[in-house]
Amino acid sequence: MDEKLLEIKNLSVAYDESLVIKNVNLDIYKGEVFCLVGESGSGKSTLIKSICRNKYAKITGGEIFFREQCISDIKDKEMASFLGCRIGLIQQNPEGAFNPLRKLSDQFNETVKSHGKKLDKEKLNRIFSTLNLKDMDRILKSRPYELSGGMNQRIAIAASFILEPELLLCDEITSALDVTTAIAVTDELLRLKNDMNVAIVLVTHNLGIAANIADRIGIMYKGEIVEIGATSKVLENPQHEYTKRLLQDVPKLKAI
Amino acid sequence: MKKKKIKAKIIVVSAIAIMLILVTVFADFFAPNDPYTTSASSIRLAPCLKYPFGTDNLGRCVLSRVLYGGRTTIAATFALVFISFAIGAIVGMLCGYYGGIFDKLLMRIADILLAFPQMVVAIVVAGILNGGLGGAMIALGITMWVSFARLSRSHTYSLKNQDFIKAALFAGKSDLYIIAVHIFPNILPPVLTNALTQIGTTMIGLSGLSFLGLGVVPPAAEWGSMISEARAYIQIAPWAVLYPALATVFTIIVFNYLGDVVMDYREA
Amino acid sequence: MIKRVIKKLFCLVIVLVILSFLVFALLYIAPGDPAEKRLTSQGVAITKEVLDSERERLGLLKPFLVRYGEWLLCIVRGDFGISFKDDMPVAPKLVAGLRNTSILALTSLFVSLIISFPLAIISAIRKDGITDHIVRLFSFVGNSLPNFLISVLLMYLLCIKLNLFPVIASGNIQGLFMPVVSLAIPMTGRFVRQIRSEFLNEMKEDYVIGMKGRGVSCRYIILNLVHNCLGHVFTIVALQIGSLMSGSVVIETIFRWPGIGKLVMDSITARDYPVIMGFVIIMGTIYVVINQLSDILCHYLDPRTEI
Repeated sequence: MDEKLLEIKNLSVAYDESLVIKNVNLDIYKGEVFCLVGESGSGKSTLIKSICRNKYAKITGGEIFFREQCISDIKDKEMASFLGCRIGLIQQNPEGAFNPLRKLSDQFNETVKSHGKKLDKEKLNRIFSTLNLKDMDRILKSRPYELSGGMNQRIAIAASFILEPELLLCDEITSALDVTTAIAVTDELLRLKNDMNVAIVLVTHNLGIAANIADRIGIMYKGEIVEIGATSKVLENPQHEYTKRLLQDVPKLKAI
Repeated sequence: MKKKKIKAKIIVVSAIAIMLILVTVFADFFAPNDPYTTSASSIRLAPCLKYPFGTDNLGRCVLSRVLYGGRTTIAATFALVFISFAIGAIVGMLCGYYGGIFDKLLMRIADILLAFPQMVVAIVVAGILNGGLGGAMIALGITMWVSFARLSRSHTYSLKNQDFIKAALFAGKSDLYIIAVHIFPNILPPVLTNALTQIGTTMIGLSGLSFLGLGVVPPAAEWGSMISEARAYIQIAPWAVLYPALATVFTIIVFNYLGDVVMDYREA
Repeated sequence: MIKRVIKKLFCLVIVLVILSFLVFALLYIAPGDPAEKRLTSQGVAITKEVLDSERERLGLLKPFLVRYGEWLLCIVRGDFGISFKDDMPVAPKLVAGLRNTSILALTSLFVSLIISFPLAIISAIRKDGITDHIVRLFSFVGNSLPNFLISVLLMYLLCIKLNLFPVIASGNIQGLFMPVVSLAIPMTGRFVRQIRSEFLNEMKEDYVIGMKGRGVSCRYIILNLVHNCLGHVFTIVALQIGSLMSGSVVIETIFRWPGIGKLVMDSITARDYPVIMGFVIIMGTIYVVINQLSDILCHYLDPRTEI
């Protein structure tokens, strides 16, 4: 766990013209699961968006490195070659990954073709079965609007994994799902991660989920990372006031 | 920031629009010659000092006719838009406020009226009425009130369930009072914006009908009919076509642009 | 789905019946009864005896609704009556005119779409760039130009100043050029504006971010956007058919194109009511049918929308 994948240095980001992230430093290592926890408005989603070049999240200072290459000041076109095949992204909104009106098979094909690859049906089948998605052919023939939220989110995860990225950014991927589906999806995500050795950055406000799957946890509060460390250390021996409060606020989830 | 910029635009464009209106309203004052005096000695004169836009086939001053014609076009357009606005807003507010069978019936009629191609209806109705400018205005007005009615109905409908209306009802205010004092001022901005965007279209429609000979009857000056008349001798006296044409285009562009920026302002 | 389509078709029939009723009533709104109108349009001197015999011959003594029913049955069978002007059947006149009008209207629709679709998309993708500003300026101006003005100016420029075309359109491709351009310019302006705003709306959808996040290349993203916009584009086109119809009345009159629009203008001048009524029936039917079809098509392309 010493190979650095992503390195964020003194990053400041403005969202809709107001500064929401101030001087954040963060390293992500190969193959780890890192959870970024914080309340809504703390800037955790904006951090993810700024890495992926969302047009609303403007980087106003600092740098982002991916495998020692600076990716925060390259052109959008160059960045497109990173997105998907090296850095994957899954969004909060399950309907947000695919065009709701077109067949999934077409959209999977477009995804892999964009990276100069061919769709490997066997690999996709393995991913689908890890995600508990039955009857791949039928799913591929359908359109996203016909499917449930949990289903769509699983398919979105599959679409990210089929490109075998080294780093996967997950932005609140379970918060639009019901509790049982959310737990199932997180478990499946972890299994896939172990199969494919991908580093995952999971943004969540749910400390319970973070406690379950993270190797390391970062606590974000008002645009800054106030505490960072191994999961057990942060949960058992919180240093920052906000972390302590957060832990008190969720006694039930801690029991899980 | 952005809004400020649009506001500045609105001020400039409305200033131009108001100037246009004033110039045509005071056409008597600005026109160098009488628009109806024909003169055999000055037929189809090129633009000169006495006739800045030249003269037409009957020796009438084109500039004066453009000014007086502008008065006809602009006044008729504003009158038509205003009447449609008034009828549409009243019908829409009553339908939205009271609902029920009356509302259903009127909205059905509105649907049916919108199901037909509006300008085609206008051409035929104006042709059959054969009533000059009034006929053309009726022909366009038949379908025009509908958009106002629908818009004010939907806004009234959503206002009706808001707390301040309920509060006014509990306070024992009459329906008429609520409609006039609480609903009308609130539906005004969107409906008025719609009215503004209709001005350009209405102008195109009215001058189009006049061009076809279904609107203003010569010798009264109107841009569409002037262009239509002078088209016959465009080879000899192009100015008699070009100046009214320019006036039409300029006016429509100004009012269309005004509609656009006001829309932008409301969306920004 | 099927149930909805049937319901839709039922609505369509009702709207068409109302249309026919209004058209029939049109004959009675105008001053003078049909017998009088027929005689005036033929230039016969009206006396009481002539008028009465004419009324009897036209069946005007029957009740209004009976006459309407008979007339409607004839229309359904394709019999549009006899012209007041020259006693010839109206239907062949309308059909011939409609054919010429279709050539004109479809060509200009095609030209407009070919030009406006790519322009609108480029303009939307490069929003607020130079291309966008130029395209928006031109579409705005185009949208503000009445088509009678364009045709007069085109005539002045191309026929008189540059001497490229004959002033009166001939029935060939050369003759088609100016009428088509005159019809296409304002329509292109409107299409660009509407398609651009549709496209901009579609670009705000979440899936665009999702696709970008997967590194899907630009052309596939555009393909997806176009796919989803298509239904709206059909609606936009269907609604523009109306202004295309009224536009062709104006354009055909100016260029003396022997279409249905020129026919109806001539008939309005001659007070030839059967032709006018036939015109409204045909145009109204085409417009209503196209718009209902576009709704159904829209639902087919985007099943989330209600019919």
